[in-house]
Amino acid sequence: MEKARISSTQLFLLLSGFLFGSTVILAPAQGAKNDAWLAILLGGTGGALLMGIYAAIASLNPSKTLVDILKEKMGKVIGNMFAVLYIWYFIHLASLVFRNFGEFICTVTFPETPMVVVIGLFAVILVYAINSGIEVIGRLSELLVPVIPLVVLIISLSLITVHDFTAFLPILENGMTPVLNAAFSFITFPFGETVAFLMLFPHLNKKEKLKKVVFVSAAVSTLLGIILFFRDIFVLGSDLMARSTFIPHLTSLLIPGLNVEPLVDINLLIGGGVKISVCIYAAAKALSQIAGIGYYRKLTGAISTFCVVLSIWVYENVLEMFNWAEKVWLYYSIPFQIVVPLLLLLLSLRKKSKPSNARTES
Amino acid sequence: MYGKGIKRTGIARIAFLLVFPLLLTGCWNNRDLTEINIVAGLGLDRTEDGKVLLTVQVVEPAAIQSTSSGKGKGGGAQPKPVFIESYEGETVFDAVRGMLSIVDKRLFLSTAQVLILGERLSQDGIEEVLDFFQRNHEIDYSMTVLVAKGVTPKEILEMETDIDSIPAVYIRGSAENTVSRGTVKRILLIDLIKDMGGSGRQPAIGQISKAGEKKVITEGTAVFRDGKLAGWLDLYETRGYLFAIDKVKSAVVNVPADEGKIAMEIIRSKGKVKVAFENGEPSMLTVKVETEANVGGYEGKGALDSPDNLYFLEKTLEEEIKKEISTALEKTQKEYSSDIFGFGAYVHKYHPQYWKNAKKDWNDIFSKLPADIQVDAKIMRTGIVKSPVKKDE
Repeated sequence: MEKARISSTQLFLLLSGFLFGSTVILAPAQGAKNDAWLAILLGGTGGALLMGIYAAIASLNPSKTLVDILKEKMGKVIGNMFAVLYIWYFIHLASLVFRNFGEFICTVTFPETPMVVVIGLFAVILVYAINSGIEVIGRLSELLVPVIPLVVLIISLSLITVHDFTAFLPILENGMTPVLNAAFSFITFPFGETVAFLMLFPHLNKKEKLKKVVFVSAAVSTLLGIILFFRDIFVLGSDLMARSTFIPHLTSLLIPGLNVEPLVDINLLIGGGVKISVCIYAAAKALSQIAGIGYYRKLTGAISTFCVVLSIWVYENVLEMFNWAEKVWLYYSIPFQIVVPLLLLLLSLRKKSKPSNARTES
Repeated sequence: MYGKGIKRTGIARIAFLLVFPLLLTGCWNNRDLTEINIVAGLGLDRTEDGKVLLTVQVVEPAAIQSTSSGKGKGGGAQPKPVFIESYEGETVFDAVRGMLSIVDKRLFLSTAQVLILGERLSQDGIEEVLDFFQRNHEIDYSMTVLVAKGVTPKEILEMETDIDSIPAVYIRGSAENTVSRGTVKRILLIDLIKDMGGSGRQPAIGQISKAGEKKVITEGTAVFRDGKLAGWLDLYETRGYLFAIDKVKSAVVNVPADEGKIAMEIIRSKGKVKVAFENGEPSMLTVKVETEANVGGYEGKGALDSPDNLYFLEKTLEEEIKKEISTALEKTQKEYSSDIFGFGAYVHKYHPQYWKNAKKDWNDIFSKLPADIQVDAKIMRTGIVKSPVKKDE
């Protein structure tokens, strides 16, 4: 086990970048249309609670990764089985983000470049970052993640003259159901995906700050999501917003006399990059622990290559990607994001309350 | 072990360095300025057999330089700064690509300044053809859209003008300066797309027509109903319409005076449209305009030496603006039955329950509603002098 340490600031930035990740282009709460801000607010609250659960699991099992916890609480065989499933989940998640990135770039920036080139080059850089270790990823996030809110700010301020501040009205035109649906899908994407951080939490140098870091980053990304939503609807109106493929990109196109659309690409590069590196790191680390390979770096290349291939293969077209992100992903994610973590939390609490039993068991 | 490590990182470094030359190639589909045709203006029309007729105005950068440096020499065969080509296609994109069979280089659309729609196309419906302009990544969403009245887009783009070497730039400038006259609805592609979304406002597009061999004139507005051209507003009606929807930045409104007219310069104006509801049903369209003006020219008899003079002028200015608004509103209600003012958008936002059922018939409901127009004008200043020159009685 390597002795890498990341500071609480770095973890906060990693989490924020991860949460921002592909949310910047996919706008998961979009199903609620005009009321998406309500859905984001509800989803953010729920997401913070869910992330609180992950943080609780981590602090009940200090210095243990997800694989260690699974093995300890569920026994070696079942624990390993779940761990393998989680590895698949992280790999799948990474390849979906790769694909989001590729689709975005191929739609708006490089329409004639083959997607595999776009994704492949991105992957090469990320493998380099991941192999440099979690400390380097942490420091990178210190450098890059603050750019995200800066870009949001630049684009929002540039558009202040074309705002229609009543565009989000009427409130609750279609009732509460779409809002709740959107809020739930916003919990699973992106908040629930931070389950991958259970592989990273043990590296935090100040354990007592974990919960605070988690809640603050959830709050920040919810706030950012709401700001983004209001900016986009003020500028685009609800109809165009519902029709556009990549909302923030379309918004950035409308700044008069200024071409800032590469800034959105940069945001996606940073957010998506953080997200993919965390996922691949988590997958590689977990696999190395299961297989008993001491050194996770041997696996990153293989896993990343697999992710790239999977990302090309996983969807037939761009609308399948959106459909999956909106409709299938949340059900697919429930066991990984909610059921198993809750189970782990209960098991951890039980064993904690009966320490004598726990000792005899192990 | 250690040596092996060095060897491996050495290879990795070389491999990593080898990646960089790839970046030097720039974009995959990179094209130099000399390899593209820079489009300045676009014209769209329908042919009689229902095809799309696309006209492009392409700039020749080299020719522009030679015309500006060659000025004063007079005469001589100078290369034209632009060329115009048309092509018929089944769809817009088909026409854009098909055009390549008559021009040499690929069309670069991001630089297009204006999009001029033909009358026949507008009567047929503009929603379908504008889809390409939303979808294509090369299109600039802030280009100015205009409808040609009494002339085809091709004729407008083909016109040679002395005002600017590139006619499209001249047309755009002329539409843009509506900020200081308020007589043409300047609409950007993005605003048009938003209005077409069915959120309760019918689109209205600025009008362009020919004012001579070498001139165009951008005055008036084309009114659309459900994507089809319904009719036109003249320049005064357009100004009334723009007053109501808060799009007048500055304008000159003439009010009658003794034996003449007074030109009032509008310096600030705020307009708001609302719908009053009674018992859950819309009962009245209300337009509220607050405006500030200066006396810009007093071409008549009278004096401006007491506040009362200005108060009286305020009243007449209010009447004048009110008249413009009400003719515009009446025309859109009675003749075109198209809610270009966005009353529907207001209903949608503040009375969503009613809107749900009324959405489909809104244009008809709108046409039957009475209107209440309130104009509040303030005259702030009179300029360098107060009273005009006194005439002997």
